[in-house]
Amino acid sequence: MATSTTALEAIDVTGPTSQPPGPGIVYQWLTTVDHKKIGLMYIVYALLFLVIAGVQAMLMRIQLAVPNNHFVSPQTFNRLFTMHGTTMIFFVAVPVLFGFGNYLIPLMIGARDMAFPRLNAFSFWLSAFGGVLLYLSYFAGSGLYGAGSAPDVGWFAYAPLTSKVFSPGHSTDYWTLAVLLSGIGTTGTAVNIVATALCMRCKGMTLNRMPLLVWLYTVASCMVFVVVSPLSAAQIMLCLDRYLGSHFFDTQAGGSAVLWMHFFWIFGHPEVYILILPTFAFINEIVPVFSRKAIFGYPAMVAASVGIGFVSLSVWAHHMFTVGMGPAGNTFFVFATMVVSVPTGIKMFNWLATIWGGKVIYRVPMLFSVGFLFQFLIAGLTGIMLSSAPFDWQLSASYFVVAHFHYVIVGGIMFSLFAAFYYWYPKMTGRMMDETLGKWHFWLFVIGFHLTFDFMHIPGLLGMPRRVYTYEAGRGWEVWNFIVGIGAIVQGIATLIFVYNLIHSYFRGKEAGPDPWDAWTLEWATTSPPPDYNFAMEPTATSARPLWDLKHPDDQDSSYE
Amino acid sequence: MAEHESESIQSSSVPHASAVHLPAPTVWPMVLALGIALICTGMVTHWVIALLGLLLIAPAVVGWFREVLPSENLVHVSVSTQIVPVSSSRAARARSPHGINHRKLLPIETFSVMAGIKGGIAGGTAMILPAALYGVIRYHSIWYAVNLLAAGGFVSWAGQSDAFLAQFHLQGLLAASAIHGTASVLIGLLYGAMLPMYPRKPIVTAGFIAPFLWTGLLYSALGVISPILDQRINWLWFVLSQIFFGLVAGYVVNLQVKVRTPQFQALPFVVRAGIHTSSADDEDPL
Repeated sequence: MATSTTALEAIDVTGPTSQPPGPGIVYQWLTTVDHKKIGLMYIVYALLFLVIAGVQAMLMRIQLAVPNNHFVSPQTFNRLFTMHGTTMIFFVAVPVLFGFGNYLIPLMIGARDMAFPRLNAFSFWLSAFGGVLLYLSYFAGSGLYGAGSAPDVGWFAYAPLTSKVFSPGHSTDYWTLAVLLSGIGTTGTAVNIVATALCMRCKGMTLNRMPLLVWLYTVASCMVFVVVSPLSAAQIMLCLDRYLGSHFFDTQAGGSAVLWMHFFWIFGHPEVYILILPTFAFINEIVPVFSRKAIFGYPAMVAASVGIGFVSLSVWAHHMFTVGMGPAGNTFFVFATMVVSVPTGIKMFNWLATIWGGKVIYRVPMLFSVGFLFQFLIAGLTGIMLSSAPFDWQLSASYFVVAHFHYVIVGGIMFSLFAAFYYWYPKMTGRMMDETLGKWHFWLFVIGFHLTFDFMHIPGLLGMPRRVYTYEAGRGWEVWNFIVGIGAIVQGIATLIFVYNLIHSYFRGKEAGPDPWDAWTLEWATTSPPPDYNFAMEPTATSARPLWDLKHPDDQDSSYE
Repeated sequence: MAEHESESIQSSSVPHASAVHLPAPTVWPMVLALGIALICTGMVTHWVIALLGLLLIAPAVVGWFREVLPSENLVHVSVSTQIVPVSSSRAARARSPHGINHRKLLPIETFSVMAGIKGGIAGGTAMILPAALYGVIRYHSIWYAVNLLAAGGFVSWAGQSDAFLAQFHLQGLLAASAIHGTASVLIGLLYGAMLPMYPRKPIVTAGFIAPFLWTGLLYSALGVISPILDQRINWLWFVLSQIFFGLVAGYVVNLQVKVRTPQFQALPFVVRAGIHTSSADDEDPL
C-alpha cells in the first residue's frame, strides 16, 4: 500500500507554462538566460562532440587493430589522438557535467535560477565557440600539411613540440586558443555554481542539509578556480612564445619544457577530480533512491569530497616521474597520490553501505551506478599502482596508462553520466527513457568496455607505447589490439542505441510525471519539465530529504537531526 | 515504480494565480562571447575577423550593462499554483511488536572521529618501541627500522647494505617520521570513521581485526609500494608491531568520552534526561 499525504507546505507542483511570446524558437534559445535551457544546451553540445570524438576513437582503433596497418596516414593519426583527447576532456566531459549542474543545482536547492544568469549564458557561449574554433582548424587551418590542419601535438601539447620550429602554421594556435576560451567559460560557470550554492538556497536548507550533488559541484567548482588559472596562464604564455617571440617554453633560448609540464599537470590531474566529483555526485543521488535508503554517512561524504579537493591539488607531478625530479619530489608525489585514495575509499565504502541492506531496484540508472562502482574501484587500484614511482618508470607513456585513465573516464565518468541521463531525463523532458533499450545499452556497453579497456592493459605491460601509429607483427600485441578494436565497435553500437533512445523517448516515451522514481530531493517536487520559474512558491527544506519528510510525516528525517 | 508514482500525484485545485519576476532573455552575453571568439579566430585566420570581433564586443558590453543598470531588466511570468497530494510507493506496514530489549541497529552513542585520530597518534608512538627493539636485537641499532621505512622514498638506498641502514641518517629520520606520522594519523582517521560501525569492542577491532586486515593488505601490496621494504621486512615482528599499535590505539580510544548520535534525539525525554536508562547502555568495553 502506498503512503500519501497532502503537501501543505510551500513545496508544490505547478502546471506547465506556455512558451513566452517571442520571435521564434531559435531566438529564444540564443537569448535565454534560464539555467535549464542553458543546461540542456551544454548537454546537447557535449553530446554532439561526444559523437565526433567517438568516431575519432573508432578510427584510431581500426588503425591499430592489426599490425602494419595504413588505414589512415601517420599525420592523420596524430591529429586524431590530439583532437580525440582535447574534445573529450574540454568539449564533452566538462560541458556535459556543467550542463547537468546548471540544470539541477537551482532545482535541488529550491532556487529560481543561478546567481548570475547572464554570466551563465556568456560562459556557455564562450565554451561553445571554443569548440567550434577547435574544429574550424580542419577547414581553415593554414598549417604545414595543407589547407586543413587540425592540431597534432597531443592533448597535453608538451613543449618544445608546440614551438614554431616544430609546429609551424596555426594548427597549434587553434588548440591553444580553443582551450583558452573553454577555460574562461569553465571559470565563469564555476563562479556561478559556487555563488548559487552559497547564496541561493531556499529556506531551511542549511549547508548540512544541502544535497550531496550540490556539495560536490561546489567543491569541483572551487577546484576550477585554482587549477584552470594556471592552464589559462600557460596558454597565454604559449601564445606569447608563438606570436611575439618570447621564450617561456623555448628550450634553446633559456626556456623550460618542464615548466609547461608543471603548468599543464597542475591543471591536468585535478581536472580528473573536477570531472569525477560531479559523477560521484550523480551516484550519491541515484544509489540511495534505488536502494530505498538514505545515503550512508552524509557528513563523511562531504568531508571526503572536500578532502579529495584539497589533496588532489598536490598530486600533479605523478605524471612527471620520468622527468627526474629527484627523491624528495618523487617521494612527496608518491605519498600524496596514495593519500588521495583514502577519502575516495571512504566514499566507496559509504556507497556500499548505502546499498547494503537496502531494497535495491535494478532499473537502468542503478545498473550504470553499479557498473560505475565496480569499474571505478579497478581504475583506482591501477591508479595506486601507477602512483608508485618505480612502477611508473616502467609503464609511463605505455598503453597501460592509456587503459588506466580510460578506465577512470569511461568506466567511471561515462557510466555515471549514463546513469544520470536515465535518472534525470524524465525531469528534463517529461518522458521516461525506454527501459528495454536502456538495458541493451547497458549490457552492450559493459561488454564493449571490458573488451576494450581490460585487454588494453596487456599490450601496455608488454611494452606497447601510447600514440604509436602502427607496430610490427610478432611483438605479442596483435591479439590484444584486435580484441580492443572489437570492444570499441561494441561500445559504438551501444552508444548509438543510447542516442536512438534519447530521440525515440523524447517523442514516444511514457509520461513521467513529476516524481517517477519516488525520490527525495527538491527537483522532484515540481513538474517534469519544470516551469520557467521552477517553483511557484519558495520551498522549505526540513532535512536533507525534504520530499521524504513530506511523504512520510510520521517518520521524518528532521526528527533525527 | 515510475508508472505507479506518476498516477498518484495529481493536481487538485488552483487556489490562486500570481506572477514571478525572472531575468529577461538577452542576446548580449552570446554576442560578447562571439566577439571574443572572433578575436581569437582572427589570430589564426585574418585580422579582419578580429576587427569584426572587436566591433561586436563594443555594443555587447553596452547592451549587457544596460540589462542590469540602472535597474535589472525582468520579465513577469504568470504562475498558477496547485497544491497537490505527494505520495510514495513505499509500502506502509504495521510494525511487528517487539520487546523493550529488542536489538537496536543504530547506536545512541559512539566514539568521535577525533577519538580515532588520538588513538592513531598514540598507537603510532607506541609502535616505535617494538620496531626499535627489533632493530636492536637483530642489527644492534635503533635506526635500522627507521631507515628501512625511509628507504621506500629514496631510490638510491635500494642497494644499500644492512650496515648502512643501521647507521643514523638525518634525512632518513625526517622521511620516516613524516611517513610514519602521517600514516598513523590516517589510520587513526580511518579507524575513527569505522568505529561507529563497530562501537562495542574497540580494543578487539583495533588490536586484532584492523592489524589483521592491514597486514594482509600490505603483504600483497608492499612489493609495489616499497620493494626494498618488501625484501627485508620481518613479517613476524611487523605483525607484532601492528598488534601493539592496535592495542594501544584501542585502549586510548576506549578512554575517550562517547558522543551522542542523532538517534539519541529520538529517545523519550525520560531517557535523554537520564531518569531512565536505555537498553543500549549495556555495552561491553571489549
